[in-house]
Amino acid sequence: MNAFYVINILIYGAVDAMACLGLNQQFGISGVTNFGFIIFQAAGGYAAAILALPAATANGGFQSYIGGWNLPFPLPWIGAAVAGGVVALPFAFLFGRRLRGDFAAIGLLVTAVLLNLLATNYRPLLNGDAGLSLIPTPLRNGMFSIQPLSYEWVFTIGAIVLCALVFLFVRRITESPYGRSLRAMRDNDAVADSLGKNLLSMRTAMLVTGGAIAGLSGGILVSYITTWSPAAWGYAETVVLFAAVIIGGAGNHWGAILGALLVPVGFEEVTRYIPSSNNLPPNLIPSLEWVAIGLLIVIFLWFRPQGVLPERKRVIKVPAPAGVPAPVGVPAPAGVSAPPGAADGDGAGSPAVTAAVSAVSADHVRSPDGVGDVVLAARGVSRDYGGVKAVHDVSFEVRKGTLTGLIGPNGAGKSTLLAMLAGTLPVSAGTVSYLGQDVTSLPAFRRARMGLVRTFQLASEFKRLTVMENLLSAVPSNRGDSLRGAVLGRRYWRSDESAAIARAEQILERFGLEKFANEYAGDLSGGQRRLVEIMRALMTDPGMLLLDEPMAGVHPDLARRIGERLTTLCEEGMTILMVEHELAIMDEFCDPVVVMAEGSILAEGTMTQLRARTEVVEAYLVG
Amino acid sequence: MSLFIASIGFGLVTAAVLAIASVGFTLQFGVTNVLNLAYGGVMILGAFVAYLVNENHISVWIGLLVAIPACAVASVALNAGIYAPFQRRGASPITMVIVSLGMTLIIEFGVEALAGGIPVSYTMGNGPSFQAGGLNLTTVQLVIMAMAVAVMAGVHVVLRYTKLGKAMRATAANRTLARNCGIRTSRVINFTWALTGALCGLAGVVFAMDAGSFDSTSTDIFLVLILAAVFLGGPGQAYGAMIGAVVIGLATEISAVFIPADYKYVVAFVALLVMLGVRPTGLLGERA
Repeated sequence: MNAFYVINILIYGAVDAMACLGLNQQFGISGVTNFGFIIFQAAGGYAAAILALPAATANGGFQSYIGGWNLPFPLPWIGAAVAGGVVALPFAFLFGRRLRGDFAAIGLLVTAVLLNLLATNYRPLLNGDAGLSLIPTPLRNGMFSIQPLSYEWVFTIGAIVLCALVFLFVRRITESPYGRSLRAMRDNDAVADSLGKNLLSMRTAMLVTGGAIAGLSGGILVSYITTWSPAAWGYAETVVLFAAVIIGGAGNHWGAILGALLVPVGFEEVTRYIPSSNNLPPNLIPSLEWVAIGLLIVIFLWFRPQGVLPERKRVIKVPAPAGVPAPVGVPAPAGVSAPPGAADGDGAGSPAVTAAVSAVSADHVRSPDGVGDVVLAARGVSRDYGGVKAVHDVSFEVRKGTLTGLIGPNGAGKSTLLAMLAGTLPVSAGTVSYLGQDVTSLPAFRRARMGLVRTFQLASEFKRLTVMENLLSAVPSNRGDSLRGAVLGRRYWRSDESAAIARAEQILERFGLEKFANEYAGDLSGGQRRLVEIMRALMTDPGMLLLDEPMAGVHPDLARRIGERLTTLCEEGMTILMVEHELAIMDEFCDPVVVMAEGSILAEGTMTQLRARTEVVEAYLVG
Repeated sequence: MSLFIASIGFGLVTAAVLAIASVGFTLQFGVTNVLNLAYGGVMILGAFVAYLVNENHISVWIGLLVAIPACAVASVALNAGIYAPFQRRGASPITMVIVSLGMTLIIEFGVEALAGGIPVSYTMGNGPSFQAGGLNLTTVQLVIMAMAVAVMAGVHVVLRYTKLGKAMRATAANRTLARNCGIRTSRVINFTWALTGALCGLAGVVFAMDAGSFDSTSTDIFLVLILAAVFLGGPGQAYGAMIGAVVIGLATEISAVFIPADYKYVVAFVALLVMLGVRPTGLLGERA
């Protein structure tokens, strides 16, 4: 085995592993399916090339390109990473609106096909079809005047070290609170949105980060192979990288590296050993390679969608509660409504932490007095679906400290109304105000940050996050819940994180689910998942909860327990609007109750009052 | 000016091929909810089936008649063997798209492995040319356009006036509800795959006729045009796809008068990205 061969494999391995880490960060961690990933590697390759190449007139001017600045190492590689990131930025617009993930993916795929076509046909920019060649290798004739082989080894080690740095970088992001938000977005973006996560910002950050990593990998590659042409980055190369990530294990960075070694590198090397025979058609082996990659994708997605190395579970060890676990309950006590001393009982840790949490909670006006003030008001709210009036001219108010029920027959528009109050659906007409402020035009995540938080009718837990992580994902203003905070590292956000863990632990105890803290939420029973959802909503330290059938499909005993907990919350100053079908529950827990039918409000009052009104009884209460 | 008029001629032919392909694609997506990127692969499979027939000194028009049922069968099999099992398991839309990309590689490069990577073309005459008002079209081109019109009319009749067509539209609107209303949705879906597969096969062969020479990956770019036409009209909207096909077909060819022909697809590409970014439900679709 010759040394150049080993070097070749190692460099390709490092480059492919780096690219797969970038793709995994987007696809496996954040659920951003970037079918145009290869564009960014290509951008990095070209950037490194034109930064390192001498002016186009050199070498007899046989190739034409822009740039040609003849810059010294490491500028071409830095430029490659920057180019990958900058080129990725405009694609954020595909994710700007509520575009289905698969449609956005198509947009990127098509862009990759078209850009390749353009680069192939347009020569002045990057020498067209023939591509760039004679790209200078870094430091080759510079300060190191060393033997070819030792130079190659230095290059190899450099590439591997950079790959390792990229690995540490993406791991740092993934294992931070920000990484948890990214995984939450992957599992259910609508819910992450309703919890106050800025999806567009996160997706853009991941497009750019992954793009920069791809760009760097492209820069290293062209410096090694010294050529770069459109044939090297056909759209299908992206599929190869996807195959690598899926086979290695999406969501696991070691899996991405393993996938890179198995698929792009492995395929190249295995086919090298197939004896070439004159009986075989010339294109047979490469064609079959592509067929095999397609087969591997389909087979893995069917038989082992989690890949060879599945994403590992993040177990969070809960520190033994210091002192007596106080039955105080609601997480909020750490916040405004509680005296500073109360923090001692909830194990929240240092006073500094408590201060940080209070600062956060101070945003939400939540004084214990003021019960009966209007918290949420809808005025003339309507929603049309192509002529069908799902909700028509609805006006009502929800007062502080109440557990207001919203009932009505199927199709009355309850869920639509709730969605408009929360901002998940835009209103067709009317206004919604929260704490006296008009929030009609605010998106869901902004309303959530103001303290108006909803749950969903269908189970909406983040399946591949543990129960504990589900709760933690909802904490607002964790210092580590931003790209910057994540990069600054654990020391920067550890105190916020342990405070959040302590609060989560408290809520888990209160709802009796502490045993399940480190189970995947997707593995729980239906009723437990509803609890997870309510607990998660509480973690946001909300001023008001909008619950969409929180007891649907839940065992009656558990439903009763949920109802009791909600009542206690309201007694402590929480305001809740709850859509529910079960009249028994309404009877027992809700006051007042709003009745909807055919998109309008029919009546409002206590259940006793409502039962006395014939039109209400006819519309809904019969039976 | 004559160049401009000639380009309209090319545009009409491209639009005709595109209309057949786009209507098939959009119906497939609308009814089955599979964004089948392997559609281009099945098209080229059809083109090669006709080539196989043509190679044995049989008219390519007979080949066309063989390719249509072949692609119908292939599409039904593709769904029954791959997509339907994934859907039954609750695979996410994005997983389905990745699976369909995998199938694209399998089909296109499977064809390449069997047929070799060299571009081929049909042995066929183009028939006498006809001229009218500066337009110069061959018989084959006119036949392609006539077929497109016939297909559009046929799809219209099926969707509008047959029970099966109504069942297709009902299934597209809400599969669960359709099943609860007594529609055998599995049968409707199989029929849809057969019908759209047939359209795909027809589109593949006329695409190959129009292109002159083709290889196993020739439809990759054409798929971009299909997607542009489909998204312009709104995914799932048969009539939207027809309009989208005419717009995209004419726009790409006419733009070739003003910009180098190598870049004519840019128009389709920009149209697609704008639609995705601004109005993914299409011009005819409801507001997002």
